[in-house]
Amino acid sequence: MAGTTAGVRVDGDLIAIDGLHVTYRTRGDDVLAVQGFDLRLRAGASTGIVGESGSGKSTVAKAIVGLVAPSQGSIRIDGDLVAGTDASGNRATGYVRANRWKVQMIFQDPYGSLDPRQQPLDAVAEAVHQWQPGSRGAARTEALGLLKSVGISERQATSGLRALSGGQRQRVSIARALAPRPQVLVADEPTSSLDQSAQAAILNLLRRIQAERGLAIVFISHDLALVRYLTDTVMVMKDGFVVESGSTDRVFSTPDHDYTKRLIASVLA
Amino acid sequence: MPDATPVTTNPRVTSSVPAASPFLIAESLRIGLMRDGAELRIVDAADFTLDAGASLGIVGESGSGKTMLCRSFIGTLPRYGVRVLGGRLTIGGRDVTGATEDDWRAIRGKVIGYVPQSSLAGLNPVLTVETQLLEALQIGQAMDKTAARAEARRLLDLVRIPRVDAVLQERSHQLSGGMKQRVMIAAAIALRPPLLVLDEPTTALDVTVQYEILTLLRQLREDLRMGMILISHDLAVVEFLCQRVMTMYAGATVELGQADAIRARPRHPYTLALLHSRLGMAERGQDLVAIPGEMPVVGAWPEGCRFGPRCAHAVDACRSGPQPLPRFVDTHLTACIRAEEVT
Repeated sequence: MAGTTAGVRVDGDLIAIDGLHVTYRTRGDDVLAVQGFDLRLRAGASTGIVGESGSGKSTVAKAIVGLVAPSQGSIRIDGDLVAGTDASGNRATGYVRANRWKVQMIFQDPYGSLDPRQQPLDAVAEAVHQWQPGSRGAARTEALGLLKSVGISERQATSGLRALSGGQRQRVSIARALAPRPQVLVADEPTSSLDQSAQAAILNLLRRIQAERGLAIVFISHDLALVRYLTDTVMVMKDGFVVESGSTDRVFSTPDHDYTKRLIASVLA
Repeated sequence: MPDATPVTTNPRVTSSVPAASPFLIAESLRIGLMRDGAELRIVDAADFTLDAGASLGIVGESGSGKTMLCRSFIGTLPRYGVRVLGGRLTIGGRDVTGATEDDWRAIRGKVIGYVPQSSLAGLNPVLTVETQLLEALQIGQAMDKTAARAEARRLLDLVRIPRVDAVLQERSHQLSGGMKQRVMIAAAIALRPPLLVLDEPTTALDVTVQYEILTLLRQLREDLRMGMILISHDLAVVEFLCQRVMTMYAGATVELGQADAIRARPRHPYTLALLHSRLGMAERGQDLVAIPGEMPVVGAWPEGCRFGPRCAHAVDACRSGPQPLPRFVDTHLTACIRAEEVT
């Protein structure tokens, strides 16, 4: 398969990350943003990565979708080595078309992640046309179906983006992320800019999509209540390291690390 | 305590309310603009009072009018192309409904401190923290630079910033989100206003930093005996900090009362729905309770109760006539004709 450098397939794991390190260079200084991050995630499973700003959680998300490169370690998506160098010394050539579609990202800010001059329908149809064979007309039909499945009507899909609320814009972002029919969604604080009710609607939608499509989802969030509600497993990051990980129920009921305890104690009743 | 000096030079701004009255009084306050000779309202008939030193949380979804209402307290509505259309607003015993920009300059900072939405971007990136605090301190009062510098240090101590001397010389890009918010709060309380208005002060912050900032605000409120109005879409944040809660929907006040009473028994379906949509209310594997539909846009408010089209309790009587006025049911005010049946 194109993009498979090593040809090693890890059975069942859609995401396999080993020993991920990410280093940012700023004015001659190296900042170790992520140090020794490991992850295994199967189809239909979900994991949460929590921690405060600067903990490295968003850098992990960016590395998974190929927006930053590992300085050490490797990332496999559905068996393809897409980033870094694995333990056998095989080097990835990066995401290529054959595996790029498999991982899609939902960003935090639905106001900044969509083109304000583009109709929602065009934004999603463009993504469909990019990834699926067929005419532009067929892409628009599929895009309308996708938008409808996330609760955007045809009238809203063909109106200006300005007419849509934050929650509706995030639905458009989700529809666009689903256009390539991905296997993995990486959601970086997908509801933090939304109010409570819009957040509830988006989280219900993500749960439904995950069940219907068997998606693996990585949730990046500082909202512990969200992670507790949505994910099977959780990883707590601090200063670039994972300080605690395990089943979400276990980590929330009997946290081991002091930092995890502090995070849980900060949740308002 | 309210500033004893007159806050207005405008003859239209009269001082008709006795000093013993509540610190802030909104009476049938309407905010919006005129379009084709008719009022296009963003906030409709806001009626509430706030005693000196008391705290009020305003909750509601985006578009409910809560931010515009608070902008009326600091006289910045014209910057957004809107104005007070009617009713009366009294602050510190003075009617400021028709206050001019000169009048407001004497109120902002001194009488009401304000921490705006997106305040993390509110610091000037090219000026040091000290320069910006000195500016805040020297607005409207004569203070020599040495005294102002000492006061700036004291302010940073007050908002629990460590390494005060270093931070005073830093610029915003060198500060974390929590530190920026502390500096913004320090600037807002620099002139010791009796009332601090905060618009979503912790929305962009991590859970631990949010908790620290809210704890700081609660401490400041008690230590300085400062009144507080807090806007949030998060009822948990409001309950943490405020004694009273006001729920707004489509420009209207739909519920108002003590925070604990409203939490124990909300009497408006909208407040109830907001409470139920909280993450903590659901078990894993269950759907969260989202409020169906969207908030109606300004100018397209429906007949009858504006929440009616999204309300699980609505009956035919809810869909005609004007927006119901708030009335007392048990412990607090609610604008629902079926309040007694809301559970």
